[in-house]
Amino acid sequence: MFYWLDFDRLISLFQYDEWDPLLFSTTFFLFLFFGLLIAHRYLSANKTGRVLLLLVFSFFFYYKVSGLFFLLLIFTSFINYYGAILIGNSKSRTGKKILFFLTIVINLALLGYFKYTNFFIQIINDIGKASLDPLEILLPIGISFYTFKAISYIVEVYWENIEPEKNFLDFTLYISYFANILAGPIDRADAFLPQVKKDYEVRKAEIGMTIYLIAAGLFKKVVIADYISLNFVDRIFDSPLRYTGVENLLSIYGYALQIYCDFSGYSDMAIGISLLLGFKLMENFNSPYQAGSVAEFWRRWHISLSTWLLDYLFRPLQMKFRNLRILGNALALVITFGLCGLWHGANWTFIFWGAVHGFFMAFSIFTAKPRKLFYSRLKLTDSRYVKVFRVIITFHLVAAAWVFFRVADIQTGFDVFKQIFNFFQGEVFMQFVEAYPAILILIIVGYILHFIPKSVEIKTAEIISNTPLIGQAAILALMFWIAAQAKSADLQPFIYFQF
Amino acid sequence: MISERLKQTILKELKLDDYDIRPEMRADEVPGWDSLSHINVILAVEKEYGVRFKGVEVLRLKNIGDLQKLVDSKLS
Repeated sequence: MFYWLDFDRLISLFQYDEWDPLLFSTTFFLFLFFGLLIAHRYLSANKTGRVLLLLVFSFFFYYKVSGLFFLLLIFTSFINYYGAILIGNSKSRTGKKILFFLTIVINLALLGYFKYTNFFIQIINDIGKASLDPLEILLPIGISFYTFKAISYIVEVYWENIEPEKNFLDFTLYISYFANILAGPIDRADAFLPQVKKDYEVRKAEIGMTIYLIAAGLFKKVVIADYISLNFVDRIFDSPLRYTGVENLLSIYGYALQIYCDFSGYSDMAIGISLLLGFKLMENFNSPYQAGSVAEFWRRWHISLSTWLLDYLFRPLQMKFRNLRILGNALALVITFGLCGLWHGANWTFIFWGAVHGFFMAFSIFTAKPRKLFYSRLKLTDSRYVKVFRVIITFHLVAAAWVFFRVADIQTGFDVFKQIFNFFQGEVFMQFVEAYPAILILIIVGYILHFIPKSVEIKTAEIISNTPLIGQAAILALMFWIAAQAKSADLQPFIYFQF
Repeated sequence: MISERLKQTILKELKLDDYDIRPEMRADEVPGWDSLSHINVILAVEKEYGVRFKGVEVLRLKNIGDLQKLVDSKLS
């Protein structure tokens, strides 16, 4: 009867395939999510039913992304669930401290083993001139994110800011929730757990915001980020010396936009999807390139990570070094940002990127007083031009640092700047405009959209909320269609302009 | 209630002429009290009262009222 249905292929869709991970922007996810929404509609009245449904979906999602590592996820939930309860029940201060350190160490050891072992081996090889073989260690996707969720929970329990969670299923959902497990936001337990427990409710306003976020997220990620990276940035940054300084410079602007659209697009989709399921996740991006200082940038970029680092790394370090005053602040900043870099990846490029930001911040605090004096002497303190100037400077500092985040090694990063300063070839720009108009337009449009005030975003979401269902479905369908076009667009042939 | 002494210590460190500091206020609601100036305010309070706080004690402060309670507990 079902001869036209290829059961083998259907089954293989549900199996783990490391080359075809489940991402929000795939049609298969769309299909699955739709199924989830329908099931959720019927099960949401029963709290345990709802949690179980979300858990099963989350574990299946994780299995599709990372195979059998979902077992590690369960193990991590286990350790942290019992760790917190033991810490909460412990009567002695020393006992609490020991349990606290033990739980943290286990979390970090798992993260360190899976993510950093081969990096350490490489360092040992370099320092000791040894030649140890790297181990074949697969990386469980999202481990950096869910480990940080776990650590924040344990610290808050230890600081007695929250009570240990009694319900194991609720807690496991906190750790393994599919929407934020791959790329955040790194939500806090005290914000997430109460939402698991309360009655499911989605209001009209939230539906409008959901559609706005999903549509915007898809557009940013698939239309802008993926297109710019595949057709432009990847080529330049893989071998910058083959391209002129103009192209390298445009690549820097392109990459800064790409990484923002990629990451914030995914966050938007995660937050939008979660709203439909009754969860309000943390805001993760707030027009970061509108920042007037690197410090402000970090209050607008990857907010869930920067607040995590602020609360659990920077502030404790700051307290430890407080007698060194401004030097203590600087030391705490450099260490925090260095580790922030390391968290992003097991490579010297990431540590270098982090250290560069640490340096920016330290420089900023050392020169805060003289700069303030300078502006007030020139009566420029509240000048609009100074504000714009500061935004432009901050953006360029951040964009320059992003180069090291992207390239394969630090030397390649320097090559990018070498080409810009030694081999600019300004005349190539016009040829570039003729050959790659789409890239340039996307970059310009992307930045213009970035600087649109937040009030316009909120107004747009409101308008969508008040559109009838058929209109909302049309908007979403249109965005899916646009995204599909962008995805299936032919890879642009590349051209070497310097010849 | 925030004691006048604590209030003046905070205002002086943040170079504010006057600000209505209330117990339920968070640090970031006071102009100029951000994560970087935070440490200077804590040091100023420690110096004013001749006390030394433990790291954990300060990290757990939720608002300025908690700071007042912490100071009071150190003095008694």
